[in-house]
Amino acid sequence: MSNLDTLKAKIKERLPDLDMVVGWEQGFDPLRATPLFMRTEEDVDRLIWNPLCVHNLATYLPGLKGRKVGVVVKGCDSRSIIELLQEKLINRDDIVVFSMPCEGVVSVRKIQNRIGSLDYVESVEADTGTVKVTVDGSSQSFGFPDVAASKCGRCQYHTALLSDEFVGEPNNEKAEDDYSDVTSFEARPQEERLAFWMTEMQRCIQCYACRNACPLCVCRDHCVAQSRDPHWMTQENSTQNKWFFQVIHAMHLAGRCTECGECERACPVGIPLLLLKRKLNKEIEELFDYKAGTLIDSTPPLQAFKVEEDNINERGW
Amino acid sequence: MVMAVKFLAKDNLVPWLAELAETHRTIVPKREGEAVVFRPFAKEEAPELSARPTESPKSAIFPQCDTLMSFRYTKDEEDPGKVLLDLREMKDESPAVVVGCRSCDAAGFNTFDRVYMTDKITDQNYRARRENTLFVTIICEKPATTCFCNWVGGSPTDTSGADVRMTPLEDGWVLESITEKGEPLLSSTLLKDGDDRAGDAEKIRQQAKERMPEAPDLSEAPGKVLALFENNDFWEAESAKCISCGACTYLCPTCYCFNITDESSGMEGVRLRTWDNCMSHQFTMEASGHNPRPTKAHRLKNRVGHKFSYYPNIHDGNISCVGCGRCIKSCPVSVDIRSIVLHAIAAPAETEK
Amino acid sequence: MSANTGSELKIVGFLCNWCSYGGADTAGVGRFQQPTDLRIIRVPCSGRIDPLFVLKSLFNGADGVLVSGCHPRDCHYAEGNFYARRRLEVLKRFLPILGIDERRFEYTWVSASEGQKWKTVVQTFTERIHELGPAPKLDQCLMERAQAMAMAV
Repeated sequence: MSNLDTLKAKIKERLPDLDMVVGWEQGFDPLRATPLFMRTEEDVDRLIWNPLCVHNLATYLPGLKGRKVGVVVKGCDSRSIIELLQEKLINRDDIVVFSMPCEGVVSVRKIQNRIGSLDYVESVEADTGTVKVTVDGSSQSFGFPDVAASKCGRCQYHTALLSDEFVGEPNNEKAEDDYSDVTSFEARPQEERLAFWMTEMQRCIQCYACRNACPLCVCRDHCVAQSRDPHWMTQENSTQNKWFFQVIHAMHLAGRCTECGECERACPVGIPLLLLKRKLNKEIEELFDYKAGTLIDSTPPLQAFKVEEDNINERGW
Repeated sequence: MVMAVKFLAKDNLVPWLAELAETHRTIVPKREGEAVVFRPFAKEEAPELSARPTESPKSAIFPQCDTLMSFRYTKDEEDPGKVLLDLREMKDESPAVVVGCRSCDAAGFNTFDRVYMTDKITDQNYRARRENTLFVTIICEKPATTCFCNWVGGSPTDTSGADVRMTPLEDGWVLESITEKGEPLLSSTLLKDGDDRAGDAEKIRQQAKERMPEAPDLSEAPGKVLALFENNDFWEAESAKCISCGACTYLCPTCYCFNITDESSGMEGVRLRTWDNCMSHQFTMEASGHNPRPTKAHRLKNRVGHKFSYYPNIHDGNISCVGCGRCIKSCPVSVDIRSIVLHAIAAPAETEK
Repeated sequence: MSANTGSELKIVGFLCNWCSYGGADTAGVGRFQQPTDLRIIRVPCSGRIDPLFVLKSLFNGADGVLVSGCHPRDCHYAEGNFYARRRLEVLKRFLPILGIDERRFEYTWVSASEGQKWKTVVQTFTERIHELGPAPKLDQCLMERAQAMAMAV
């Protein structure tokens, strides 16, 4: 019995005590998976687990608070669950976490950049060695690292940090993350950095997919970006307004973002939003030796303080 | 319906657009970062005509943020107790042309017309742009896996909504004027007579139509979707994976809801019309705090219901969807409106309670 | 009298009511000479300051933002400035990635009796902002320059 079959069996075992279990199934074309809400055994048979399972299903948990929910997670997704538990936004007793060791997922956008268009995908074979995409009868193969999501190349959590049912051998490999994407961006001249954000944010359509895909953005229905009081943003679709939303989003996630990358993945026009959150995470790790979503009993650093700070110079003037 | 037929050589595309830009606001699809968006034509940036645009050209006639009027309060010098209001209405009647959108994109405005320009009421801002904007559509040679224009009365070569139709050939495009307003667009000396290439173009168009997979019969959709109105379980299951963002709404060629806001600073301000989004929790939030569509199940039911049931029922069976597939492609979780409608049609009839 | 004459730049100050606002008052009573670029907004405590206040000021055209509160361990509300210290330090480190010069934002601690110190803070910060010059305005000109830069890549 393959690992996936064992996983399905375990889900079926637990299903009677749960309202639903959230996993993935094949989507509208061979390249896209889509979230699957399993309520019956027939639903469970449609479950898949492969490098196309890009979605962070922890996003659905705060909206389902009060119900008994199972959820299938990758390592990075489990960090979001831990962060939600830290902030008491979900109850541990109401969730059952299923997981298997993860070797990485694809970036659909990277595949698009290599094959030109995602409009005509006929078949996909993806494993963590190669990804083969067939369009118009002809196939192209890519080494997995070339088309994997950027977060996978620096993954330190192949194995879920929290799970109730774990199938397979835990993988404790830890890649290096030196935040070089942040430092190399900051090495660019200041005017270029500002110009970069101005040009990127120009095509933003303010759909708030970035906000709604984020597992930690639980106030999406009451977001300050859409309020008249406080009036942080006007209704104008100026680049300034759209950029200010990203600043609000990043600041509200400071010390809470688990770098699942859903914000960037969800963006319909491909704006590199994760960079801002990565910068904040880099600074917070340096200042407070803290990584969001790793220990259930921690408190996010901006919700706490020390009388004597280890790494903050009190700036005598 | 076709009047003039011309041929535009590949190398003459940019010069022809530059010529048009002398007399019209010319809007073309362009690559910007990871997306293809509609922007004003600029000689230095080649338009993107082979990839399907990420967004629709809706903004050309219905901008995402439109300033309807500006206002300014001033004190009357003669009578300090009195405040005068200076109001300036804005209406854009500048001639414009969108070149390189698809048939479905242009057809989207037919949905708008039935609502914005009726015999009872006419939206002046919409009418001003609508009457002065021309569409040069480019046919689709083959469908994407997300295309379903032929399910909703369209086709890859459809001319409904177009003023000129472009058909790509190896070395350029055959241009045909579809409406009287479109004909002057083909008067440029850069365009050669196209009668000898018309046959090749027709072959391409035939092929395009043949490549469309068979369309299911959606005639039962309006009735079946409406019949499921009280069926919360159906809509909860269909909407479970939706994250209530606005990607589908804002990229859709037929979504036409709007919001009006006054933004002021001190004694002056503007009145803005901006796109609204029925997938947002706040769409039906009332001043009392009551919200008739509090869950995403309610909201998805409204979205699908509006497009495939309520609108057709009011407007002679016309479905408020052009089958462009953007909502499927760009949805962060791949909600597929096609499968929702097919599930609704296949759902067992509700028994009388 | 128009305050924005000559070469004055827009510097916004967020001062806590108890220590720093008092300190600024003391500086005034002591008639210390200071540049007049700084426009003060009084808040109850530095802990009231949402980092977004600073960012909004910078986005809306402020050339510099100064925040001042009670010394840590002396907060009128006991803990407010401990939170402020963390938030504002994170904010200061965040600015570079946005393309904003982090020297345009400063946070400091000035008590109610430190009139001389307040004068020094205002003098130094204003001079620094003048050295940096007016901040790039987020307007149409900037958009055009940004687009030109993107095309050149």
